[in-house]
Amino acid sequence: MENPHVLFLSLLVFLPALGALLIATPLFGKGNEELTKRFAFGFTVIVFLMSIWMAIPGASPNQFSFDGDAVSEMQMVFNLPWIPSFDINYFMGVDGISFPLIVLTTFISMLSMAASWPIKKYVKGYCILFLLLETGMIGVFMALDFFLFYVFWEVMLLPMYFLIGIWGGPRREYAAIKFFLYTLLGSVFMLIAILILYYNSDLRALSPEQLQAAHVISAVDDAAAASAANALIAAESPQHTFNILALQTLGQSTDQFSKPGLFGWSLQIWAFLLLFVGFVIKVPSVPLHTWLPDAHVEAPTPISMILAGVLLKMGGYGIIRMCYPICPEGGYSLAWFVCIIGVVSMVYGAFAALAQKDFKRMVAYSSVSHMGYVVLGLGVWSLASSVDPDYWAMGATGAMFQMLAHGISSAGMFFMVGVIYDRVHHRDLDKFGGLFAKMPIYSGLSVGIFFAGLGLPGLCGFIGEVLVTLSVWKFSVVLAVISASVVVLTAAYILWALQRVYLGAEYKGPHPEALTPITQRELWIASPLLALAILFGVYPQALLMYMTPTITRQVDQLAGWALEHEAQQQALTQDQQQEDLQKQAALAEQREEEFAITN
Amino acid sequence: MNPLTEPITVTHFLIVGSIMFVSGAVCMATKRNALGVLMGIELVINGANINFVAFGSEVLARRPEFRLGLDGQMIALFVIVLAAAEAAVALAIVLNFYNNHATVDVDRADDLKG
Amino acid sequence: MDFAERLPLLLLAAWLTPLASFVLVVFFGKRMGNAGVGGAYVATAAIAISCGLSLIALFGWINHHGLPAPLSHHHHEEHHDDHQHDDHQHDGDEQDSHAEAAVHGSDANPDDPQATATAGFGGAAYHGQWYTLAEFGSLKLTIGYYIDALTVVMFSMVTIIATCIHFYAMGYMHEELHEVKDKEVELTTGEHLLRPGRYYRFFQYLSLFCFSMLGIVVSGNLAMTFVFWELVGICSYFLIGFYIERKSASTAANKAFIVNRVGDFGFIIGLMVVFSTIGSFDFGGEQGIFAAVRPGEEHPLTVPDSMVQASAVMHGEAAATDELTAEQLETFRGQGFGYGLLITLGLGVFCGCVGKSAQFPLHTWLPDAMEGPTPVSALVHSATMVAAGVFLVGRFYPVFAPEVLLTIAVIGCFTLFMAATIAITATDIKRVLAYSTLSQLGYMMFALGVGGWLAGMLHLITHAFFKSLLFMCSGSVIHAVHSNEMTEMGGLRKKMPVTAYTMLVGCLAIMGAGIPFLVGFSGYYSKDSIIAQALSFKQVNPGWGVMYFFAVGGAAITAFYMFRLWYMTFAGPPRNQHRYDHAHESPRVMWVPLVVLAIFATFAVFPSFNQSGLVRLLSHAEPDGIHAGHVGRLAEVTIPPEMDSHADAIHVEATMTAFTTAMLGFLLATIIYGLRKVNPDEVRQKFSPLYRFLRHKWYFDELYHVLFVVPVKMVGVGVSWFDQKVIDGAIHFLAKLMLWTSSIDEFIDRRFVDGFVNGFAKATYGVGLWLRGVQTGSVRQYVVYIVVGTILLFVLASFFLNFSLALDVN
Repeated sequence: MENPHVLFLSLLVFLPALGALLIATPLFGKGNEELTKRFAFGFTVIVFLMSIWMAIPGASPNQFSFDGDAVSEMQMVFNLPWIPSFDINYFMGVDGISFPLIVLTTFISMLSMAASWPIKKYVKGYCILFLLLETGMIGVFMALDFFLFYVFWEVMLLPMYFLIGIWGGPRREYAAIKFFLYTLLGSVFMLIAILILYYNSDLRALSPEQLQAAHVISAVDDAAAASAANALIAAESPQHTFNILALQTLGQSTDQFSKPGLFGWSLQIWAFLLLFVGFVIKVPSVPLHTWLPDAHVEAPTPISMILAGVLLKMGGYGIIRMCYPICPEGGYSLAWFVCIIGVVSMVYGAFAALAQKDFKRMVAYSSVSHMGYVVLGLGVWSLASSVDPDYWAMGATGAMFQMLAHGISSAGMFFMVGVIYDRVHHRDLDKFGGLFAKMPIYSGLSVGIFFAGLGLPGLCGFIGEVLVTLSVWKFSVVLAVISASVVVLTAAYILWALQRVYLGAEYKGPHPEALTPITQRELWIASPLLALAILFGVYPQALLMYMTPTITRQVDQLAGWALEHEAQQQALTQDQQQEDLQKQAALAEQREEEFAITN
Repeated sequence: MNPLTEPITVTHFLIVGSIMFVSGAVCMATKRNALGVLMGIELVINGANINFVAFGSEVLARRPEFRLGLDGQMIALFVIVLAAAEAAVALAIVLNFYNNHATVDVDRADDLKG
Repeated sequence: MDFAERLPLLLLAAWLTPLASFVLVVFFGKRMGNAGVGGAYVATAAIAISCGLSLIALFGWINHHGLPAPLSHHHHEEHHDDHQHDDHQHDGDEQDSHAEAAVHGSDANPDDPQATATAGFGGAAYHGQWYTLAEFGSLKLTIGYYIDALTVVMFSMVTIIATCIHFYAMGYMHEELHEVKDKEVELTTGEHLLRPGRYYRFFQYLSLFCFSMLGIVVSGNLAMTFVFWELVGICSYFLIGFYIERKSASTAANKAFIVNRVGDFGFIIGLMVVFSTIGSFDFGGEQGIFAAVRPGEEHPLTVPDSMVQASAVMHGEAAATDELTAEQLETFRGQGFGYGLLITLGLGVFCGCVGKSAQFPLHTWLPDAMEGPTPVSALVHSATMVAAGVFLVGRFYPVFAPEVLLTIAVIGCFTLFMAATIAITATDIKRVLAYSTLSQLGYMMFALGVGGWLAGMLHLITHAFFKSLLFMCSGSVIHAVHSNEMTEMGGLRKKMPVTAYTMLVGCLAIMGAGIPFLVGFSGYYSKDSIIAQALSFKQVNPGWGVMYFFAVGGAAITAFYMFRLWYMTFAGPPRNQHRYDHAHESPRVMWVPLVVLAIFATFAVFPSFNQSGLVRLLSHAEPDGIHAGHVGRLAEVTIPPEMDSHADAIHVEATMTAFTTAMLGFLLATIIYGLRKVNPDEVRQKFSPLYRFLRHKWYFDELYHVLFVVPVKMVGVGVSWFDQKVIDGAIHFLAKLMLWTSSIDEFIDRRFVDGFVNGFAKATYGVGLWLRGVQTGSVRQYVVYIVVGTILLFVLASFFLNFSLALDVN
C-alpha cells in the first residue's frame, strides 16, 4: 500500500478489536480468567505504546510532525473509498486536537484494564466488550468521515451499555438504559444534522486547492490531482460529501449551509444546534446530565474511569471538531447559549456535588462542573474576540487542556473511590474517616489527585481552569464573575469530602478490618495518574505544543470568517436602509405628482 | 350443407367423436356403479382418440397447416396405453373399495367429503 | 556576570532550595534517620542556605545601588535627586541588558532568563522571565521575577524568620519523633488516639510553605503571584490541619482554605480585568501593568488606553474594531471611561489580599488557624501567609485608585479595631496573639490605604519579627505547661526567664514602646509613622477623620491586651500549681531563635526612622507617583503624599498621641493584671453584654454560618433535589409518557392492524366453509361439474379471447 499511515492507523484502531476476536475463540475458556485479563491488558499496553510512539519524534513516517505548517494541520491522513455509492470513505487522520485525546484514550484504557482485576463475573465477555469499546473510542477521535465517525460513535455506545448493565451495581439496568437512551437521543440529533449537511453539500463549489487540502482528492502527482479536481468540479450533479474537512471548508467559505431553514434560521444554525445537543449530552451539560451520576454510581470502577476519562471528552471533541468549523454561523449566533450552558453546568454541578452523600456521586457531579469549563471555553466567541482572537484561542485551548486534565484527574478520582469501595463495599461519605492512618500511601495519592481536580496550581486542573476563566471576561463580564465564583464551591466540596473520608481519628463505617494498605497493582495505576497531573501542571507545554497550533489556526480561520460575516451583515443592513430610503423617496415623488395632478 | 350427403371429412369423425364423448360423460354422471363409470371414461377417452386419429389422417385433412400427421396417431397410441393403465389402476381401486365397503356404488364413496 | 544577571539567579536559587528540600523529604523523608529526623535537618539546611543567599542578595543590592540618603522632612527633593542618580546609574545597566535581550531575542526562546532592569517606580527594578507556562499570540502566562528593594528585603525577612522557626520547630516538634498520644482525640473505645509521629512531614510542609511564599515575593507577574498565592493557601491547609485526627483542626484547615478562596474569587476577577484590558500580567516592562497605569515622567495614575477602549465598547460608545484616536481616547478618559475597570481591578486584587491577610470580612479563618502547631502559627502569622496579602497591596500599590485606597483604609481600620477588642477577652494565649495579628494587619492595610506605603511596609517587616517572636514565646510556654489557657498559667517568669523576657521585648515592640523623639523598639517607629500618616489623612479628609481615632484607640487596646497576656502568663502567683511545677525552660534549640528574633524586634529600625538602613532601603522601592497626592474621582477623598506626615507639625502630634495612648493601655493592664488592684471578674460582670459580644468575637462565625454556610448547603441540597426530582422526574415522566404512547400504539396494533389481518383470515374461513358444500363426495356430481365447467370455460373463452372456436377446418 502506498500510504504508510493506512496500516498504522488502522492497526491502532482495530488492534483492540482483534484482541477481542482472539479472546472470543475457545482458547480462552472457563478457568482461564487470569490469562484472559492479562491478554486483554497486553493488547491495551501495545496500543498505548503505539500511540506514544507517534509522539516521539523519530525515523518512522508514523509520527506526529512538528515541521512548519504540518503541526497545525491534519497529519497522517489517508482516504480510501468504503461505500462509494454514497461517497462514504474510510478516511482517517490525526491533528493537534485529536492526537492528545487518542493518547489519553489509550492511556486511560490501559490503566482501567489494569483496574479491572477485581472483576470476577463473565471475565471473557467483559474483556471482549472492553476491547471493542476501546476500538470505538479511538476510532471516534480518528475518523474524518462523518459517516465513519457516526459508526464509531455507535460502536462505542453498545459495549458501554453492556458493561454498565451487566457488571454494574444494584441499579445497573436502570443506569444502563438511561445512559443508552440519552446517548441515543444525541446520536439521532447528530444523524439528522449529518444528513442535513450531506444533502446540502456540493463539492463543486470548492477550488482544486481546497479540494486537495480537504483530502477529497488524493493523487500522487499534481497533474493527476488537478485533472481529478477539475473532473469533480465539472460534474453535472451535485457532489455530496461526508468529508469533515470538506464540510468545514464548505461551511466557512461558501453559503451552501446558509439557506434559511425552519423559523427563518439558517441551516447552519440548525445543524449547529442539533450537533451541539448531540455532543452536549455526552459532555454532559445541565440539563442533559442526569445520566452521568447514575451511570457512574452503577458502573464498575474501570468503566467509571473510562466514562469520565474518555467518553465525556468525545462531546467536547465533537463540539470543537464539528460544530464550530462546519457551522460557524451557528456558533457565532449561539455563543451566548453555549456559554450560558457552560456556566450553568459549572455552578450547578458544584452545588450538586456539595450536597451528595455518595462519594462516587459527588465525583460524578464534579465532572459535570469541570466539563462546564470545557463548554464555556469553547464558546467564548464574541466579535471582540474575532478582532483579537487570542482570547478565544486561549479559551478553546484551555477547554482542550481542561478535557485532558479532567481525563486524568477524574479517572484518578473514580479509581480512588473504587479502591476503597472494593475494600469496604460502601460509598457513604458520612461513614468514612481516618483513612489516612490506615492507608497512608493511598490517602496521599488521593489527596494529590483530588487537589488536581480542585485546580491547585502545579497540578493539571489549574491550567485549564485558569485559561478558560481568564478568556471569559472579554466575552461577558457577568459570566466571567460567575465562573470565577465557582472556585470557592469547588474548594468547598472537595475539601469537605476529603475531610470526611481521609481525615479524622478513626474509621466508623462497616468492614474496618478490610482497610488494608494499597496493593502494588493499585499503586501502579494511581501513581502514573498523579505523576501526569503534576507533569501537566508544571509543564503544560507538553500538551500545549500539540494543541495550540491547531487550535490557533482554527480560531484564526473562524475569526476571519466572523469579520467577513459581520461586514456582510452590515452591508446588508446598509443596502436595506438605502432601499428603504429610495422607496420613501419614490413614495414622496409619487405623492407630489398626485398632488400636482389634483391641483 | 348436409353432412350426411357430403363426402367423409374430418367433420364426420368429429361428430362421431363428440357423440361418444357426450355418451361417456353422461354415462359417468349417471351411473352409480363404479364399473359403469369406468366404462363411461373409456368412451370419453376413445371419443377423444377418434378426433386425434381424424386430425392425423393424411387423406381427410384438406388444409395441410391443420394436419397433425403422424403425431395424431402417436398421441392416440399413447392414449390407448394410458387408458389401459388407467383401467388397471381404476379397477384395482374399485376392487379395494369393494373389499372395504362391500359395494361398488360410487355414491357411497364419500369418505373425502369436505 | 554583572549584577543584573546575578541577582535573579541568586534569588532563584534561594527560592528553589526549599522546593528541592520538599521533594527530597516527600520521597525519602521516612528513610532519613530515625523516624525521619533527617527530614528536619534537610529542610532547615535548605532554608538556611536560602537565607544566606537572600542576605548575599541584600548586601549585593546595597553594595550595587547604595543606600538612599537618610530621610528628612525635605527628603522628597533629595529622594528625587537620589532617584535620578539611581536612574542614571541604571541606564547603563539597562542598555547592557537590553543588548543582551537582543542577543537572546534572536534565538527566540522566551524561556531564556533575560534580565531587564528599568527604572522602576521609585528605585531600580529588575524583571524578566524564567519559564513560559502557556502562550497565545501576545498573551502569555509566565513564571518570572520582579526584583526591587522590597523584594530583596522581603526575601531576607522571610528567610531569616523561617530559619529561626525551623530551628525552633526541631525542638518543638520532637514529640513527633515517636508515637504520639493525642489527648485531644478520644476514640469510641474511650481511649486516646495513639498514632505514629509525623516529624518529617511537618518539615516537608514547612519547606513547601517557604517555597510558595518566596514565589509570591519574587513573582514577576500577577498570574504567577496567584499561582503561589494558591500554593500558600494549600500549604496552610496542610499545616493548620497537621493534626488530621482532630476534627477541629481539619475544619479549621478547610475554613482557612475556603475563606481564602473567597478572596481568590476577587483576585481572579482582578486577573481577568488586567488580562482582558492590559493584555499582560507583568508588573514591569514597557507592556507591563505599572507602565500602563502610570505612564510618563511624572507617573500620574492614568487609566490605560486599552481600558478606556474596553469601557467605551462596553458602553456602546465605540466598536471593538475601532482604532480610537488619541483625542477620542482623551475625551473618553475625561468622561471617566475605564475608571470603573481600574477600580474593579484594584478591588479585585485587594479582595484576594483581604482573604490572605485575614481582613474583615474574611478574617474568621485566622483565629481558627491556631489549631496548627505553634511554629506554623508563627510562620503563618508573621512572615508568610498573612504577610503575602499586605505585600501584594504594597507591590500592586501603583495601580490602586484613591477609591480603592479608601476602601483598603476603611477595612483595615475596622479590622484593627474589631480584632483588638476581641483580643481583650480571649484567654487562649495563641488566640490573643491571633487577634493581635489581625489587628496589626489591619494597621498595615490602614497605613497603605491612607497613603503610607513606607509606613505599611515597614510595619509589615517589624511586625513579622516581633509577632514571630511572640508566637514562638507562646509556643515555648505551651510546650512547658501543656495548655493554651492563660487561666492555667501565671508566675512563669521564674521558671522560664528567657522566654519571659524575650516575650516582654515582643510586647514592648508591638505596643510601640520607646522614648518619644529619641529611641524605641522597632514597632515604635513603624506604628508612629502609621499614626502620623493617619493624622495627615485626617487633616486632608476631615470627613474620614474618625478612622484616626480608631487607629489611636487601637494602639491603646494593643498595649492593654499584650500586657494583659504577659502579666497573666509570667507575673504574679501561679494559677495552677501542678502545671507550674512541671514547667521548665525550653531547650536551647528553641530559645536561641527567640533571642535572635528579639534582637531583630528591637533593632530592626535602628538608630532612628530617618537613619535606619531598613527604612532607607524600603524607600528605594517606594513607588513613584504616589507622592502626587491623589484625588478620588467617585468618592470625596484625597490621598495625602507620605512625606507630608514627616513634617514636624504632624509628626510631633502623632508621636505624642501614640505614646500617650500606648502608655494608657499599658498602665491599665498593669493596674488590673500586674498589680491586681481591680478584679477583672467584676469588670466583666459590669459590662456583661459587651463582654459576651466580644467573647463571641462579634458573633461573626455565627453570622457567617447563618448567612453563607447554611444557604450554600441548602442550595446544594436544593440543586440535588432539583436534579433528582425535577430533571430526573421529567425524564421519568417522559419515559412514562413513552410507555403510555406505546400502549396506545399497542391498542391500535391489536385493534386495527391485527384486526384487519384476523378479519381477512375469518373471511377466508367463511368462504371456505361456504365452498365446502360443493364437495359432496359424489363422483357423478363432480363429473357434471367438470363437464359444465369445461363448457363454461369454452364459452367464456369464446367471449373474451379474440378468436373463433369454430375453425374453418375445411
